[in-house]
Amino acid sequence: MNEKLSVTIERSTLSLHKLGVFCGLAAAVWLGSAEAPTKLVNSGYSPFILSMGMVMGAFVARWTVPTLLKGTGFLFDDLLDKPHLIVWALLAGMLWAVANTLTIFAVRNVGLAIAFPLWNTNSLVGLFWGWLLFKELRGSGIKGWAKVLGGAFAIVGGAGILALATAQQSSNAPGRAAVGIMAALGAGVLLGTMYIPYRKAYISGMNPLSFVTIFTFGELGTVTLLTAINLGGAGNMVAELHRARPMLFWPFLGGFCWVIGDLFQNFAAKYIGIGRGIPLSNTNQLWGLAWGALVFAELSGLSSTGKLLVFTGSGIMIAGAVAISMAAPLDRELTNWKLAMDRECERYGLNTEQVAAVVAGDDPHAGKPYRRRWWEWLVMCTAVGIFVWLALGTRAQQIYVNMPWMIVLMVATLVPLGVCGTLLYRRTRFS
Amino acid sequence: MKRPALIAILTDPQLWVPVVVLILGTTLLMTLR
Repeated sequence: MNEKLSVTIERSTLSLHKLGVFCGLAAAVWLGSAEAPTKLVNSGYSPFILSMGMVMGAFVARWTVPTLLKGTGFLFDDLLDKPHLIVWALLAGMLWAVANTLTIFAVRNVGLAIAFPLWNTNSLVGLFWGWLLFKELRGSGIKGWAKVLGGAFAIVGGAGILALATAQQSSNAPGRAAVGIMAALGAGVLLGTMYIPYRKAYISGMNPLSFVTIFTFGELGTVTLLTAINLGGAGNMVAELHRARPMLFWPFLGGFCWVIGDLFQNFAAKYIGIGRGIPLSNTNQLWGLAWGALVFAELSGLSSTGKLLVFTGSGIMIAGAVAISMAAPLDRELTNWKLAMDRECERYGLNTEQVAAVVAGDDPHAGKPYRRRWWEWLVMCTAVGIFVWLALGTRAQQIYVNMPWMIVLMVATLVPLGVCGTLLYRRTRFS
Repeated sequence: MKRPALIAILTDPQLWVPVVVLILGTTLLMTLR
């Protein structure tokens, strides 16, 4: 069926920069929406269990929609072509897990208003690594630098203002403030460094679906280990998970949204690099804010100064995203991107022509018809079954929800999925 | 010429950036607990 479609639907000629920008913005929508289901969980559960529920959900969700897009035959071919990247994808998952656990400590010790802007600097860390290791922004000229760096700083600054205006929590343990700040900064460095494997994978011609698959293994393994350590042993962790059973569907749903968002973020990192793609997807805070304010009425008691801060922070963030969106790389910069790609091909003995084709969104494997195996359907049905089973056992949560706004935001979340998914298919066949 | 994969991975200086950051981050996490 896919083969027939590829014959009838011509490849679009959309520029890779525009495609990457759309992916970055779609990633922001979905990563921001991933926070919404967890808001439906009443307090009383360990943040480690909430985080683990979301990671488990992401792991299971990977085997639903993404498996529909590309079967496991494609996945294995892609991984066998570049087996060295398995190490990198696992490493990225482990970095995410440690960073996420640090954010829990940071929020607990200094509150979200201080912790969030500190770890949101991850996009600046990623931008630095992109410049240093993958020659991003080199040759982009002063205008290009100003747009990307200015945009990235604006997004971090906007995030800081929003966090300041909206965070309800504050530190109730002032003596531990230094610990919280160190944890938040550490999380920022870890998350920013996590983008090194992302970029490495894509200039080596790996498919984002393959990368995310291996990533979720590294992520789940490390989060399980860290949760068990933090809760005082595997027995306690299992007991806590069992206790959390009536609400586990919500973090699982968050994990599902997170996987979709992460896939878009990976496609953005592939087509516009981490220097541009990560700040764009970090505007997810705007969507988290929209869910919180419009659906859960979290800002109903906000003062006029607070509201002014929310509008200012959002405006600065949007301006930053617009600046980055307009910073298409010049030919000189693209030449440097190619040098970074050549380095990978040389070091790991990859076929330069083939990798160049994949990097340009024209993966030779993408048009190849793959036969679906019976066990792929089994895996997919099991993954969907887990979601259904969790949903059936979910107890209703006593939380205010504004239904009309919820429908509006759900539509606003699904539209970018449809639009960006179509653009990706038409331009790259999800390669 | 294609290098043996494991040697190419281990001698890639770029690998050691995330590895060192991961070790430092994990150490920080364990210290802060």
